[in-house]
Amino acid sequence: MTMEQESTPSDVPGGDCTPTRMAAPPPPDPQFVLRGTQSAVHALHFCGGAQGQGHPLLLSGSLSGLVHIWSLQTRRAVATLDGHEGQCVTWLQTLPQGHQLLSQGRDLKLCLWDLAEGRNAVVDSVRLESIGFCRGSVLARGHQHWTLAVPGRGSDEVQILEMPSKTSVCTLKPEADAKPGMPMCLELWQANSSPRPLLLAGYEDGSVALWDVSERKVCSRIACHTEPVMALDFDSQKARGVSGSAEKALAVWSLDEQQALQALRTQELTNPGIADVKIRPDRKILATAGWDHRIRVFHWWTMKPLAVLAFHSATVHCVAFATDGLLAAGSRDQRISVWSLYPRT
Amino acid sequence: MAVFDTPEEAFGVLRPVCVQLTKTQTVENVERLQAQLQAVSDSALQELQQYILFPLRFTLKAPGPKRERLIQSVVECLTFVLSSTCVKEQELLQELFSELSACLYSPNSQKPAAVSEELKLAVIQGLSTLMHSAYGDILVTFYEPSILPRLGFAVSLLLGLAEQEKSKQIKIAALKCLQVLLFQCDCEDHPRSLDELEQKQLGDLFAAFLPGISTALTRVITGDFKQGHSIVVSSLQIFYKTVGFVMADEQLRRLSKVQAKPAVEHRVAELMVHREADWVKNTSDKLTILIKKIIECVSVHPHWKVRLELIDLVEALLVKCSQSLVESAGPLLKALVSLVNDESSEVQAHCSKALRHFADQKVVVGNRAFADILSENLHSLATSLPRLMNSQDDQGKFSTLSLLLGYLKLLGPRVNFVLNSVSHLQRLSKALIQVLELDVADIKVVEERRWNSGHLSASPRTSAAGPRRQIQRRYFRFFTDERVFLLLRQVCQLLGFYGNLYLLVDHFLELYHESVVYRKQAAMILNELVAGAAGLEVENLHEKHTETSPEELREIVTSILEEYTSQENWYLVTCIKAEEMGEELTVKQSGLQAITSGAHTCQVSSFLAFSNPSPTICSMNSNIWQICIQLEGIGHFAYALGKDFRLLLMSALYPVLEKAGDQTLLISQAAASAMMDICHACGYDSLQHLINQNSDYLVNGISLNLRHLSLHPHTPKVLEVMLQNSDASLLPLVADVVQDVLATLDQFYDKRATSFVSVLHALLAALARWFPDTGNLGQLREQSVGEEGSHLSQRLATLEEGLENTTTAEDIEQFLLNYLKEKDVADGNVSDFDNEEGLGCTGSVCGSSTVPQEPAPSLGSSDLALTRAPTHQR
Repeated sequence: MTMEQESTPSDVPGGDCTPTRMAAPPPPDPQFVLRGTQSAVHALHFCGGAQGQGHPLLLSGSLSGLVHIWSLQTRRAVATLDGHEGQCVTWLQTLPQGHQLLSQGRDLKLCLWDLAEGRNAVVDSVRLESIGFCRGSVLARGHQHWTLAVPGRGSDEVQILEMPSKTSVCTLKPEADAKPGMPMCLELWQANSSPRPLLLAGYEDGSVALWDVSERKVCSRIACHTEPVMALDFDSQKARGVSGSAEKALAVWSLDEQQALQALRTQELTNPGIADVKIRPDRKILATAGWDHRIRVFHWWTMKPLAVLAFHSATVHCVAFATDGLLAAGSRDQRISVWSLYPRT
Repeated sequence: MAVFDTPEEAFGVLRPVCVQLTKTQTVENVERLQAQLQAVSDSALQELQQYILFPLRFTLKAPGPKRERLIQSVVECLTFVLSSTCVKEQELLQELFSELSACLYSPNSQKPAAVSEELKLAVIQGLSTLMHSAYGDILVTFYEPSILPRLGFAVSLLLGLAEQEKSKQIKIAALKCLQVLLFQCDCEDHPRSLDELEQKQLGDLFAAFLPGISTALTRVITGDFKQGHSIVVSSLQIFYKTVGFVMADEQLRRLSKVQAKPAVEHRVAELMVHREADWVKNTSDKLTILIKKIIECVSVHPHWKVRLELIDLVEALLVKCSQSLVESAGPLLKALVSLVNDESSEVQAHCSKALRHFADQKVVVGNRAFADILSENLHSLATSLPRLMNSQDDQGKFSTLSLLLGYLKLLGPRVNFVLNSVSHLQRLSKALIQVLELDVADIKVVEERRWNSGHLSASPRTSAAGPRRQIQRRYFRFFTDERVFLLLRQVCQLLGFYGNLYLLVDHFLELYHESVVYRKQAAMILNELVAGAAGLEVENLHEKHTETSPEELREIVTSILEEYTSQENWYLVTCIKAEEMGEELTVKQSGLQAITSGAHTCQVSSFLAFSNPSPTICSMNSNIWQICIQLEGIGHFAYALGKDFRLLLMSALYPVLEKAGDQTLLISQAAASAMMDICHACGYDSLQHLINQNSDYLVNGISLNLRHLSLHPHTPKVLEVMLQNSDASLLPLVADVVQDVLATLDQFYDKRATSFVSVLHALLAALARWFPDTGNLGQLREQSVGEEGSHLSQRLATLEEGLENTTTAEDIEQFLLNYLKEKDVADGNVSDFDNEEGLGCTGSVCGSSTVPQEPAPSLGSSDLALTRAPTHQR
């Protein structure tokens, strides 16, 4: 496959493997690579040290329906969860307590796993109505109580559930004339000032909408892309978000006090197709997963391109950041690369 | 023989002989008496003691010159009587004592009379027997001040004999007798212990002899080594028992209170010593000189029993006279410490026991704690250590380092007081670094090559090799004695065990960075520090000492390991590779020309080494040693961490395995032994097991390094070794790496083809080994869900089918040539045909080896993807 060379600067002090005396540093290497999923990696999620012996874990969901739990200390899979009947796992999320894992699969099931003390059993599951690729989103609302957003029955609907009771709170259905198409990505959040849950949804028509969940209405909506929005991430402190789509650009938008979305800028890319976008927890950088096999790293505030990480030999499906800044990327080439970029000092 | 039990019978028999002897004093008469005495029972003899003794004493006392032979026989007879009877009267004891001593009196000189050795021996034995035959009560009263002159004469007589006689027998007898006289006899006849007052009495009495005894014995002790160890041992014993008795703190403390002078006649009073403060001070000063002399001489005495006795001396004096002999405490301790590492295990054990006793009891010497003296000594030793290491010969270095080791052992955790002082730590480390400098001039190190590139798996030496294998023989610039190296290692281990490991590791890592001149030594020291910290081979004298926790140790080891395996410390130039003078070298030179030029030993060539990219033999030598030391360190670290080291394998295994295939013999040996160490420490059965269990870590290293092939030219080799040593479980992990290899082969087609082809060959061999018959291929296909996997297994299937066919190398070669020709024609690239022949050749190299014979007919063009058609034209 021919690949257009990026013109973006690649002078990243990537990882710990750059010989300092080299005139032109070699492209950064991953800190390590996890192998053995034997199937394309579609979902990644870091899980803090709360579980097990206190070492951080990385969870990966694969096309073959397995969830692998990797120890970042030994860099080996410590457990494999099989709960999606061989269907692709698209979304993984641990709940704030740390012992419970949500996994979303294309078998139309959302499983809740109990991982405490080495257990790995499905304790509950939610039947999903939509077969799309849209990943769910979860918002903690107090102890043992959280709100879940998943694609709904109607092709353009988003369903809001109260967990763990699984009671359906509402269905967010766009107005009849809007026709945004299917929801492609969801992000539930909550402003510091108000307890009302808000939902950011990216749609098939390339627009991003802000829903007020309790009033079930769209607060604001902007057309960011001309292609379906594939992924978005939102920085609630700076009230700024970023979205990636099938096209060759990233869109950055912000939210003003009136809860109106405003397009800020777009960042052109060399190759089209962003499968995932994540802002690092410290809100300094963001990473994208590219269909062009590349992981791109940008400065979050200025959107200055910082690095193009070329390692994978197939589409990168997902990226994830750990709380300590470690970046993981999962690809169709069955590998998970883990990078240590700009380690915090 | 008839025995005369009753005194009456005995008297009847003895009387004529006694009368005869009194009349005419001849040897024959004495012998006749003695012969008769044999037949008399002890009880009868006791009754007749005075009667029988009379003619004998009469003979001795009779005026006029006497023949020596006669005196001797009389003394012998007397001794016989005394040995069978008891002396019950004070007067008799005193008189006999004087009469016996007088036998050896020569009026003209200070020396013992010039008489025959037999007589001397007889007299000595007589005196000894006399003292033994005296009743306990009488014996104590015997030592009254008035006896002083007579006792003094006997003591000086015995000392003279011990010092000047030639006969060893006499010397020993004299020393034994002296022991008896000085109340030190340990035989069962003197069970009675003295009370305080008696002790004081005796102490006062013996104090008068102390100068004479101590100087004379010192002369004996420091005399010729050849005089026999038993003499020195007895002398040492008498020395410390006498000094320990007279100078005992316990007695001296009481004396200061009791001032009453004993009422004795003037002449005797002059001789009497009162042990007041001044006297104690003076005596102690003089004794210190003697003690130093003794220690200096005895601590290097060739006989171990003598050194053993020295330990007792030190122990006795330090325990009993710590106040009075405060000045000697330093030298005494030093003596003890230097014996900690004695070559005799008995001495070592005894010494350790004594030291542990001191350490446990918190013995206070003078006003200072034992530990204070030790750390003071260590301070001063640390200060002078660089100078000593510079100037001393091997033997000197050995004893200095033994001493250092002893201090470290004794101080235990308190060494940190010394280490915390920056200047002392620097001096200590300077000395260690200096003395550990390697001699890197040996050309063989560079020359020796590992010619057979056979696999390490071929030698499963696991069972034969015990833990902690022999380390490689090194040659040092400043010493040749292997024992010195051993001591240095022990010193470092102890430092690591007791010292603040963070501080030490930081310090030596700094030195490691600072200069290439220090690097190898610093690495050696770091290796031993870690081994010590883990408590390997360290005998702990301090029970309360808490060892470094495993987490801390792992942290420390991780940082050292990172340093060792970093690009600039691991990939050093160890040989001149002509074949690599390609364009890759330009990258190499700018980034990695870590020719570290062992400038310190090759001054002449060092300048050249810097300006000229081609390294000198010395610098390559030095680099080889550095890598070996670092490899050895990794082995040490594995032992230090045990199973915990498994976590570090992800970063350590790849570099070590890479070095196992190094061309330089020493490096590959060191790497192989490091691998064995890792195997043992981490609980793997064999090298294969180690590699197989950790192939995921290796694959990670391999795939990352393949991305920078110019920096890591040996990566394909590691992959090859891994493939040779793994089982089928590796396959899912290795699939993408094989893809990488093929991609890289495209990139470096003309330079790397050979090494990659051999990797691919290893892969095929492994596949053939893992799936020996076609029945398993189905499983394989199921296993590899991914596209690459199934692709691979399809190729394999076609391969396997053809296995039955016998294909010759020529067939394969022909096939390849045909294929290439066809491909070129298809590409319209006929002109490049010549280049392609290169591949044809490498292809035949691959094909001509034994395992899997690629069958020509069944190979479709798609199967050749494994050996990839050249793509450099694209």
